[in-house]
Amino acid sequence: MAVLSKEQKERYRRQIAVVGEDGQEKIGRTRLLIAGAGGLGSTAALFAAMAGFGTIRIIDPDCIEETNLNRQLLYREADIGRPKADTAAKALHAMNSSIDVEPVTAAIGTAPARDLIRGIDLVIDGLDNYPARFLLADAAWKCGIPFIHGAVEGFYGQVCTILPKTYPCLRCIVPNPPPVRETPIIGVTTGVIGCIQVTEAIKLATGTGLPISDHLWLWDGIRQKSDRLKIERIPTCHVCGKDEYQIPTGERVR
Amino acid sequence: MKVHVKAFATFREVMDSQFDMDFPKGATIHTLLAELTGKFEGLGELMFAAPGTLRDFVNILKNGRNVHFLAGLDTPLDDGDVIALFPPVAGG
Repeated sequence: MAVLSKEQKERYRRQIAVVGEDGQEKIGRTRLLIAGAGGLGSTAALFAAMAGFGTIRIIDPDCIEETNLNRQLLYREADIGRPKADTAAKALHAMNSSIDVEPVTAAIGTAPARDLIRGIDLVIDGLDNYPARFLLADAAWKCGIPFIHGAVEGFYGQVCTILPKTYPCLRCIVPNPPPVRETPIIGVTTGVIGCIQVTEAIKLATGTGLPISDHLWLWDGIRQKSDRLKIERIPTCHVCGKDEYQIPTGERVR
Repeated sequence: MKVHVKAFATFREVMDSQFDMDFPKGATIHTLLAELTGKFEGLGELMFAAPGTLRDFVNILKNGRNVHFLAGLDTPLDDGDVIALFPPVAGG
């Protein structure tokens, strides 16, 4: 078991007061995948790096554009045109040089999802479309890895922590996704939802509290109000309707 | 019978967040949506692709169960039901 160094005890002193040295060590041993380095992903990655998650793998296929700068807080004007994953990795390393950051410039779907989540303990969903979310969430559910779903539009956001072998899965929550389009987003909403997602990751890593796992948590920034929406599993769901899942190649991932 | 209606996310831009409605026995989800679209301007356009055809991504939950997997718009309403209208958001 990794023991905190003197420097780490000082760096995380205010946080150790909350989660304990044991909790901080657990955070340090947790390997996070952040899927998407946009508004949600860059917020989540920054707070995860500050919290001291030991490994952060961050995946995004795109380069930084001017229109990203209203919400994607890892990037600066000088970064326009650079790959998001690499630029995010540099910013995260500058924030916390003691963690490992693995940038991957790829789209979900171009590599087998099980390869992207290999060796990962928790997935944070910073994606902007449901076809990609389903690929990763299905693989995570079937491979026993929690998938912390988040999504935003305008002043509204939603979060659900999909725990493997429990219900509902993401397909039950969103059986028919909205069409892929350029979503209107206020930057602060990605900040709120990204922070809730990392809160979930810290809770799962340290075994603190209860995850948002049996309902959907909805944020309404216009009314500054949150709601919990209970959603039942779809009886015919092809993902969580079976307890055991065999990877198509016959290989068990975990 | 009394039914409690809750609306989430972008539906709140055209309708109230939550309220009670009274219906006669035999009313269905279709009855409820007809009432709502008459009451709240702009809701019909958000919910329906064409008259009688709900947009795919509009989730209507009866006590947490998606009516798409019950009897769709013909799903009967019961006294005390909580009906949630939930358009999932997608951006990241």
